[in-house]
Amino acid sequence: MHSYRRSTRPSSFKTYVDIVEFEERPVDVPEEVDNGKVEPNLLPGEIKIAEANNVLKFAPLKTNKTGISGTLFVTNFKVSFVTSLPVDSKEAELHERSLQSHYLGVHDVCLSEVDLVYQISEGSTKKKRLLYNAPLPARVSGLQLVLKNLRVINFSFKFTPAGEDVRIGQALLHHAFPPSIDHLFLSCGHPSPFTGIPEFCLAQDWEKELQRTRCPNWRVSKHNEFFNLCSSLPTVVVVPRDLLDAQLEQAAQHFQGTRPPVWCWGALGGAALVRMAQISPNISDKISVTKSMGTLQRRKLEEESQQQENRMMGLVHRCHPKKLQPTIIDLDQKLPSLKDLQISYIKLRELHTPDDPTQFWEQDRHYFSRWESSRWLSYVSKCLEVAQNAASAIAHHNSSVILQESEGRDMSAVISSLVQLLLDPQVRTLRGFHSLIQKEWVTLGHSFCLRLGHTRNQPEEQSPVWLLFLDCVHQLSLQHHAALEFTSEYLLALWHASHCSLHSSFMFNSVNAKYSATAVLQRENPQQPVYLRPVWSWWAEDHDWLGGEQNGSSESVKGRRSAARDLFLNVHYIQNLMESLAVSGALGRLRDPVSSAHHTWHRIQYLLGDSGPLPYDPNAPVGPLQIDASLRVDVALSSLKPWHECFSGWISEPSVTINEIDSLSRQSTTTVQHWEHVRQIYYTIKSHLSETLTNGVAE
Amino acid sequence: MFSGGGIEKRGISKAVNKRSSSRRSSSSSTGSGSTSGSSSGSGSSSGSSSESGRSNNSGSSSGSGSGSGSGSTPLGSPPHVQMASHESLNSESKSSSLNSKLGHESAGSPSAGSPSPPKSVCSSSSTSTDQHHHHQLAHVLSSTSKLTVREGTRTLRPDEPTLVPGEHMEGTAREVTYLCPYTGPKKGTLSVTNYRLYFRSPETDPPFELEVPLGVVSRIEKVGGANTSRGENSYGIEIFCKDIRNLRFAHKQENHSRRMVTEKLLQYAFPASHKLPFFAFEYCEQYPENGWTVYEPIAELKRQGLPNESWRITRINEDYELCETYPAVWAVPAAASDTDLRNVAAFRSRGRIPVLSWIHPESQATITRCAQPLVGVSGKRSRDDEAYIQHIMDANAQSHKIFIMDARPSVNAVANKARGGGYESEDAYQNAEVQFLDIHNIHVMRESLRKLQEVCYPHIDNAHWLSNLEATHWLDHIRCVLSGALRIADKVESHKTSVVVHCSDGWDRTAQLTALAMLMLDGYYRTIPGFAVLIEKEWLSFGHKFAQRIGHGDDRHQDEDRSPVFLQFVDCVCQVMKQFPHAFQFTEDLLITVLDHLYSCLFGTFLYNSERERMEKEVKTKTVSLWSLILSNPSDFENPLYNPATRHHVLFPLTSMRHLCLWDKYYCRWNPSMRPQEPVHIRFKELLHVKGQLERRVDELRRELAARQTHDSPRVTSAIV
Repeated sequence: MHSYRRSTRPSSFKTYVDIVEFEERPVDVPEEVDNGKVEPNLLPGEIKIAEANNVLKFAPLKTNKTGISGTLFVTNFKVSFVTSLPVDSKEAELHERSLQSHYLGVHDVCLSEVDLVYQISEGSTKKKRLLYNAPLPARVSGLQLVLKNLRVINFSFKFTPAGEDVRIGQALLHHAFPPSIDHLFLSCGHPSPFTGIPEFCLAQDWEKELQRTRCPNWRVSKHNEFFNLCSSLPTVVVVPRDLLDAQLEQAAQHFQGTRPPVWCWGALGGAALVRMAQISPNISDKISVTKSMGTLQRRKLEEESQQQENRMMGLVHRCHPKKLQPTIIDLDQKLPSLKDLQISYIKLRELHTPDDPTQFWEQDRHYFSRWESSRWLSYVSKCLEVAQNAASAIAHHNSSVILQESEGRDMSAVISSLVQLLLDPQVRTLRGFHSLIQKEWVTLGHSFCLRLGHTRNQPEEQSPVWLLFLDCVHQLSLQHHAALEFTSEYLLALWHASHCSLHSSFMFNSVNAKYSATAVLQRENPQQPVYLRPVWSWWAEDHDWLGGEQNGSSESVKGRRSAARDLFLNVHYIQNLMESLAVSGALGRLRDPVSSAHHTWHRIQYLLGDSGPLPYDPNAPVGPLQIDASLRVDVALSSLKPWHECFSGWISEPSVTINEIDSLSRQSTTTVQHWEHVRQIYYTIKSHLSETLTNGVAE
Repeated sequence: MFSGGGIEKRGISKAVNKRSSSRRSSSSSTGSGSTSGSSSGSGSSSGSSSESGRSNNSGSSSGSGSGSGSGSTPLGSPPHVQMASHESLNSESKSSSLNSKLGHESAGSPSAGSPSPPKSVCSSSSTSTDQHHHHQLAHVLSSTSKLTVREGTRTLRPDEPTLVPGEHMEGTAREVTYLCPYTGPKKGTLSVTNYRLYFRSPETDPPFELEVPLGVVSRIEKVGGANTSRGENSYGIEIFCKDIRNLRFAHKQENHSRRMVTEKLLQYAFPASHKLPFFAFEYCEQYPENGWTVYEPIAELKRQGLPNESWRITRINEDYELCETYPAVWAVPAAASDTDLRNVAAFRSRGRIPVLSWIHPESQATITRCAQPLVGVSGKRSRDDEAYIQHIMDANAQSHKIFIMDARPSVNAVANKARGGGYESEDAYQNAEVQFLDIHNIHVMRESLRKLQEVCYPHIDNAHWLSNLEATHWLDHIRCVLSGALRIADKVESHKTSVVVHCSDGWDRTAQLTALAMLMLDGYYRTIPGFAVLIEKEWLSFGHKFAQRIGHGDDRHQDEDRSPVFLQFVDCVCQVMKQFPHAFQFTEDLLITVLDHLYSCLFGTFLYNSERERMEKEVKTKTVSLWSLILSNPSDFENPLYNPATRHHVLFPLTSMRHLCLWDKYYCRWNPSMRPQEPVHIRFKELLHVKGQLERRVDELRRELAARQTHDSPRVTSAIV
């Protein structure tokens, strides 16, 4: 959908073209202007692997009748398409709302973003999936890339010199599906700036969290110092105060993945949120027993495990100052399995990656029922429901909640994070949300590498748990659009960022895996320091160090960044902060450092980017937790909405070809207007403050 | 106070409310619940009302001993209470506090809010919804306070509604139970006036209220017989409404109240069947603006640049003789003589010849509308008709082609030949290309809406919501209409080619298509007066058969001629509006108000089938226009996000299913569990308000500072001296 001004119609305007009478238009071939050699932009440490000239790039729904010509490269970081032709406005806009736009050009794709590769040929609708080890024919007429963000790109090698097509195909297959994570391009050769987000790898991080929540009777154990206890947990974990380290070690053996129950959040009243694995059904790998072990022995072991589980629950029970019985939620029973989730996702992927307009319209006829049959929304609904129940147990009954799940690394992360979003106002800020993800997902060991399929190993273990969580948060923000400090666009940016290998946050299965990968990289290249970059760095970086060559001048980089900032920060949240300043007398107290108005003003200054690049003060202490159970989610399926920006964001409706930019900016213009007024308010107050300051000095 | 098809639709009750409340406030010193205090109370308490209602009711009905069968069937709804609870949930404290602030500051609302209803006219209006509206509208109250006090406002009992001018009580039944499908049964008093049905239950605090204009009623049925009814609440009436809800009331047999209520309801809900006038002819409210003058055919054609060298304005149909369903004034190609017009009329179904709807200001490409040609099985041709189409094409110098858009599926168009109709053959019409837009007929649409109602009301099957919605095909039809209109707009705008639009008779699908295409092409129609002109012109003057399609005051609820064609058009407008939040001067509140009064029969606007009938019945002089209400209260409908610069834009909406959504704010509004999101435009209004507030505070502080300095400085100087 688009609109345009009738009188000032730009000359480059393409007209809307009806599918019925789509005319075959000639491919845009650039005049041979590039006398010099075309080269991709390379980051420090990035190397070019293959190159193909005269490649045509198509967006499939624009029907393969139009394409742009350029040179295609495969490097050890990305698939890069270099062209001198103007960029499609929709692509450009979507590119700007990503967290990696300063590493990747508009036409670039990070290797780890590639989900599927198909061999396609002109005139034929058949396509053939290519696995990493697929032999390529002597001539490849075209490749289709389906990316993990559901974008589809077609490349045609019709005019490419023979040999280059195959070479580029082989390079792509080989490097996009590496055998292990350290083959990916992980380090950008630049240290990441201070963001104030704790990694939760140090005892003090957890101690601070215990202090903030004021949850009594838990302690930090450093018993996992060398990952000897459990390889997927951090070196420090929070356990019941009465649990001795030796007992902890003993207990861990009886849980799947040797993951003992750990505290992740709690409240002043004593209610704690605990993540616990199921007891191990087969502990033969830990205790040297063989299959020949007798039934009696096995039963004895099972009993022992059962006892350990009961002991742990008893300890959680005893931690509670009022000795209230904890609520145990078996997530394996209540929530979909990882396999179901993946099946659901594959159905949605099929629905949102049509090959041509005919397929698009065919799917569109049954769009709603196909959404329903994917069951995705019903999974979202279940997660929200379970989280809501857990939250109400904590907030209304002061009961501890134990989330039990096979290894306690997937759905328990979803639920635990959602519970905290529902109860903890701090978590709804950007800083708090980053800490939450760092704590629940990165450090407590969600297997990002496995679930997102960053390597070619164990494809059967892939499952979009992380996306499920983001969608849950998205629904939350739809229903309470002033509750979160960040927007759904930011959630989407995080989803896209989790496929880019330069964001270390989402690359590894655990902290331990990250350390090992770092060690491997360091060993391979001892001269160059390894800098892994958490995704949060985006907010603190000025991006100048890239030299501004990647995509235009540093001025334009800055402009794009501040546009993206406006998209990622929730203007309605800021509006609420400003409303709190409108109460009588609040403005007069802005300079009083102990007043809440002062505190709010301080936050607004950061959010509006007036106090440095970060939208929060990284040095400010985080205040004590005050549970706020006001956020209720309507979990009825009819109240949940398909997340179009996520699933159909890249699809352009085939019948429409004019100025897509308008369709994208239509909603953002609403917020643009909003931002404008928020800024005006800000400057009004600010100028008032400086006046009183000068007047005060004069006096 | 009263409201159209359901109180919660702000639009409806708003303006009228406001009026009565202002009258009230001036007539009585006790009055008017328009203050924030009472309103916030009303919103929050409605949630709890259900339980108290239920318990009370069961107690009393067991006492009465009128025991009877299945009282549990949930029917009917307590719309205003639900809605009030919605909105209070939605906007939470923030917006209501804002509203109250607005109320205080700009309206300086008249009397202090006394939540307890005093015995005066105002009393009955201080109800939950009403207050809600009051506080929402408090800011416009002041502007209407100039209205004169009406004579003879009679004092009502607290369980009777405040009547609008021309309305009078017809009957009251006590101890009636309203069976709410969402919040359970409630006992109270049911009143019937010549305009509406009013139910009030004192069991909850604030009292539960329900109002339905009788025009909304499509069917009334008695439930349970004198001897057959067993169990609680099984004896009563069920009312089926045109606005997607059913209401059920249980009566006590020994009270013999059902008979009276049913009789009165039948009489006043179906005046046409009882040879009674519509209530619109009795309604005598005065509005500052006269909506009947909003559309002047000649002025609208002049706005489009007519007459010009290729198009002339003709009054050939002044007496509605050439075509009785067409307006008096037409714009036709200048090259066609009056004789030509008569000859063409003979070849077009019901004489509905191609007449200009819209002309492109630059390219002169046009949209013309007509009915199908009378081709028949033998494939008849008319030289005059062919020449006439050629004239239309020639009037546009930019293109040597013309498109004839037949709204029907091609199969239906072919089938119509058997009945003497058909479509233009491309052999006969040179340079013309016929395209079929595949929009189904009125019967298919009626069935689709019936299914939609089943899916939406009263309860939603969550597990199958999306597939059930898809199975209604409602959005499918919306998509067809929208993409048809898009195609027309595209031909005119991008290809600079004229388009002739028709279906069979040219008053249903044709009106949808031309009106929507014009809305996309011409920003004038996206303003409040422009939208009124669009409806007056394309729908009312060109003879969309509102009386038949809606069945105003007619008790034949199974009439095959009824169909939600206009509703579908409004739904399409709303879809476009959602895709272009800045391009419309009005919000969806306006659309809902229009739809409510489409049924309410409060205004004369939508009565009768054609301009001719309206002239005969002297509608313009004897009734009030809906546009009077809307144009007199523009601020209630204005979209704060509207960007006037978009007036020069052409809108091309996306029409794939994934970009359409069910208009839940309309179809699901009775269901309290469907919480529509707080619209962005309300947030924006709040922002502007906060901005104003903060700026004032800053100013105050500045002045204070300045005052202190001037005050301080002499002292300082004196100290120095």
